[in-house]
Order: sequence, then structure tokens, then C-alpha cells
Amino acid sequence: MILDLIQNSFDGLAMGASYALLAVGFTLVFGVLRRVNLSYGPAIMFGCYAATWVSFSFHSNIFLLLGIAVLGSVLAGTYVERLCFAPHHKGSAIAAMVASFALWMQFEEVVTLVMPKHLYDFPPMFDAEPLAIGPLSLRAEALVMLACALAICFALHRMLYRSRFGLALRAVTDAPVAAQLAGINVPRVLLLVFLLASAIGGLAGWLIVSTHTQVTPMLGMWSTLKGLLAMMIGGLGSLPGAVIGGLALGVLEAHSQWFLGPQARDLIAYLLLFVLLAWRPRWMTTSHG
Amino acid sequence: MGVLTNIGLISFVALSAYLLILAGEMSFGQQGFFGVGAYTAGVATAMYGVPLPIAALMAMGAGAAAAFLVGLPTLRLRGLYFAMATLAAAEMLRIVFELIHFQREIDGEPVGPDGTQGFRGIRWVFENGVEREGYLAMVWGLLFVVVILFLIVERSKLGATLRMLGEDPELARMLGIHVERFKLGVVATAGALAALGGALYAHHNTYIEPRNFDIMLGVHSLAYALIGGLGTVFGPLLGVLIDIGALEGSRVFHGYRMIVFGGLVAVLLIFRPRGLLDERVVHWLKRRLA
Repeated sequence: MILDLIQNSFDGLAMGASYALLAVGFTLVFGVLRRVNLSYGPAIMFGCYAATWVSFSFHSNIFLLLGIAVLGSVLAGTYVERLCFAPHHKGSAIAAMVASFALWMQFEEVVTLVMPKHLYDFPPMFDAEPLAIGPLSLRAEALVMLACALAICFALHRMLYRSRFGLALRAVTDAPVAAQLAGINVPRVLLLVFLLASAIGGLAGWLIVSTHTQVTPMLGMWSTLKGLLAMMIGGLGSLPGAVIGGLALGVLEAHSQWFLGPQARDLIAYLLLFVLLAWRPRWMTTSHG
Repeated sequence: MGVLTNIGLISFVALSAYLLILAGEMSFGQQGFFGVGAYTAGVATAMYGVPLPIAALMAMGAGAAAAFLVGLPTLRLRGLYFAMATLAAAEMLRIVFELIHFQREIDGEPVGPDGTQGFRGIRWVFENGVEREGYLAMVWGLLFVVVILFLIVERSKLGATLRMLGEDPELARMLGIHVERFKLGVVATAGALAALGGALYAHHNTYIEPRNFDIMLGVHSLAYALIGGLGTVFGPLLGVLIDIGALEGSRVFHGYRMIVFGGLVAVLLIFRPRGLLDERVVHWLKRRLA
């Protein structure tokens, strides 16, 4: 019983690490632009499909595929930013969000037109047996993912508070007009933030699909929903919050799936979000970090 | 014929999303109340032999009640917070539909919602000899009534209050409007409207399943309102017409429909962030026509 609980928590942390990575990318965009990019997940899916296509047609070196996945989602992200966010920078948040939803539809159709099968195999990160710690087992991929999530969170934090770009970013977030007057090229900063988030998304996508060793068209919606959920649970706009929110969501899901089944898992995750939103504890309303 | 009926049915959800946008709220969850309406009316007619008009009223009641319950704890939320809360509520409703196994034996056949297997045999329309044309007329007739009600409300003081609430809730509060109470009323009305659409949808398709009520429907209805325009009740209808009518009706874009539609929407929103029929166009048209 205790062992089950611990094993579930391990599995949950492994899943949670991927949610955390997705939430970090989401948070970066939301924290600076105050806009929700519904196409975040579909752009990641686009990158992952590009990598899958390369692995079938040419070569399946994992680092090559990682590069393709990142490149693909950055390209898709640029397209999204130019079409949905740059034009609405000063305008309506709803219009930007609906536009990003429209592009989601495009990504989904492009991907299923080029690769129509419902499921594609994706090469695994490495052929390692799960690590055995006594009676418990832990997948090595999970450790890689967790390490990546923490490293990226740390690096972003350093960038925000220790670099010139980070300073510009915070200036744009806090006072866009003043930042503009101080000579910061605001549209350029916003585009760069978007590309950075897309690159992180590409990495997250690659980690996720090479852990699950398969790609399906559901990846887009799944990434957007899980990323949003983890971001909201962790408190909007805080990077460490996004990581904690992702991990918490993963652990909660693992336990509820074990005890109550897959439908209850999703029900409980949404219930948690709903209750948190209605109740709004302090850490959900204070942002930045 | 099927396309025309579909346009009518989806218009109800689009209008419920539009109503909330007018009050300044963006909902990702109208599909949930659409689903509540579909299941309520389906259970009523197929399992208990209730006539469709009464079942539709019951569906509206259930939709309003569900929306009221969702609205009560989320009243003070705005923007993304409200959108996410409604999404969470709608997803919970969808999962509840997946968990409901509630069947009755009718003529030796089990009838009723069967979890993820869906709910078959909602055949009231067929059994009562309503022709497809008749049903189409019924759907559009009801839609016509709803549009007329919208037009009356938008011309009235109520409509002005609604738009003021959307523009500046603090101002509305200072002018003595019970913002929370008013908003709760709007949320419940929008829920009832979506549920009415759901009831009609269930009886058009005769088969519903939880997947019909996922986030795709909700975001689509938001998009319809925004493409068509937020200036008039005809905006969301135009949005539905453009998507389902023009693109699905003509098979030219077969296989590329979402690519064409998605690109169109994104580009359109750059130039017209409040849709084709936005307030300015509507104002201009009114002056022209008057």
C-alpha cells in the first residue's frame, strides 16, 4: 500500500515534469503578453510531426529529431506570433486568442493531411530498463524530463533577473510605454519571448513523445490543456509556480487514476482547477516571479 | 437540408456565447450546457415519453440551473479566469456524461445514456411523424423567436445595461446596478439558450455521445460570434453561416476546410478585431437604413 503510494508519486512526478515544461512555456508568453496562446500545443505538435516525418524518411538520430522538433515549433510559433499576436499587441485579448484558435485548426489539418495515420511510432530517447530502487521502478526518461524542467526554470529565472534581455523583458511587462520611450524595441522583445517559449515547447514536445514513443493528433489539444491547467494551478505568470503546478497536477492525476480510474482522474483535475479559481488563494492572484 | 438544420442548431450556442461577450465575459464552456440540454431532453422524450416541446422547456430549465450553479462561485472572476472556470465546468459535465449509465427497458430494448457508448434512439421526431422539412422549420422558427427577443432587448434599457456591464462594470455598479445579480441572470439565460440548442440537436441526430460536447464546440461558438461581429445579434449567425454554410456546403475546399477557414479568421481578426458586423458597421447601416 505504502509502496503503491510511493510508486504512484514517482509516476506522477514523471508525468508532472512534462506538464511543468509545457506550463513554463505558457507562463512565459502569458506573463509578458497577458495573452493566451491556444496554438501553443498545436505548434508543438507541428514540430513533433516534422520530427516524426524526418525519422521515417531519413534518419532517426535522437539529437537530429530534437533539433527538428525545436525548429518546427519555433517556425510554427513565429507564424502564430506574426498572425495572431503582433497585430493585436495593443488591441483585444479575445481577438488574439480566437485567432490563435483558428491557427490551431490549421495545424491540425496540415498535420493530418501529410500524415493521416492515427498513430505514429517515435524513436525512444534511449533503450534503458527502468531503474529499480528496491521494489520501486523509475523510468530514466522521467529523470531527464524532471532535470530539464528544473534546469529551464532556473535558466529562465537567471535570464530574467541577470541579463540585459531579462531587464528589457521586465520593463516591457511592467510598463510597455516607458520601455518604448527608453528605446527598447518592444515588438522585437515580444517576438523573441514568443520564440523562446516555442523553443521550450519544442523541447518539451520531443521529451514527451520520445518518452511515450508515439505521436497522435491529440498531442496539440493535450499540450494546450495540460499546460493551461498546470499554469493556472501554479498561479498565473510565475515560473516556479508553473513547475510546482505541473508536478502537483501530475502527482494528483497519478493517485486519482490509481484509486478511481481514468475518468475520475480528469474529473478531479478539473474540479481542482474550478475550486481553486472560485476560492482564489493568494498565490493564484499574485503573479510574476 | 442537413446543413441548414445544423446552421440553425449551432447558432443557438453561438448566440449564447455572444450574449456573454456582450456582458463582458468570455466563456469556454457553453458546450457543457448544450450537452445538459441534449441529455435532459433526450432522457425526457426517449425514456419517459414526454413530448418534445415540454422536454425542450425542461432542457432549458436544466441548462439555466447548471449555468446558475457554475456562475454562482465564479461571478467575481474576469477574463481568462472566468474562461478557464467555465472550461473546467464544461469538461466536468462532459466526464459526468461519460460516467452516466442510466437505462430503461423500452419494448425489450435498453434505452438511455450509456456512458462513452453514447445515447441512441432519441426518435421522438421520427415517431411523431415530423418530416425533416417540418423539423427544419421548427428549428429556424425558434431561432427566429430568439433573434427577435435579442433585437427587442438590445433596443431596450436592458440591452444598454448589458453592454455597459461589458464595457465598464465599475461604472455600472456606481449607477446602482446589482452587477453580480445581473451577471448571474445573463449566465443562466445563456445556459438556457445553449441547452435549447442541445435539446434540438439531440432530436435532430437521434444519437448523442459525450464527445459531441468537448471544448471544440465551445471555442467554435466563441469564434463564430467574433468573426460574424459583436455589433448585432446577426453577427454570430453570420459567423456560423460562413463556416458551416459556405465552406461545408461547397465541396471546393474538401479536405482543406480548416486550413482555409483558420487562415481567413486570423487575417479577418487583424482588420476587424470585433468581427465583420461590429458596432461601427451596425451603426452605419442603421443610419443608412433609417
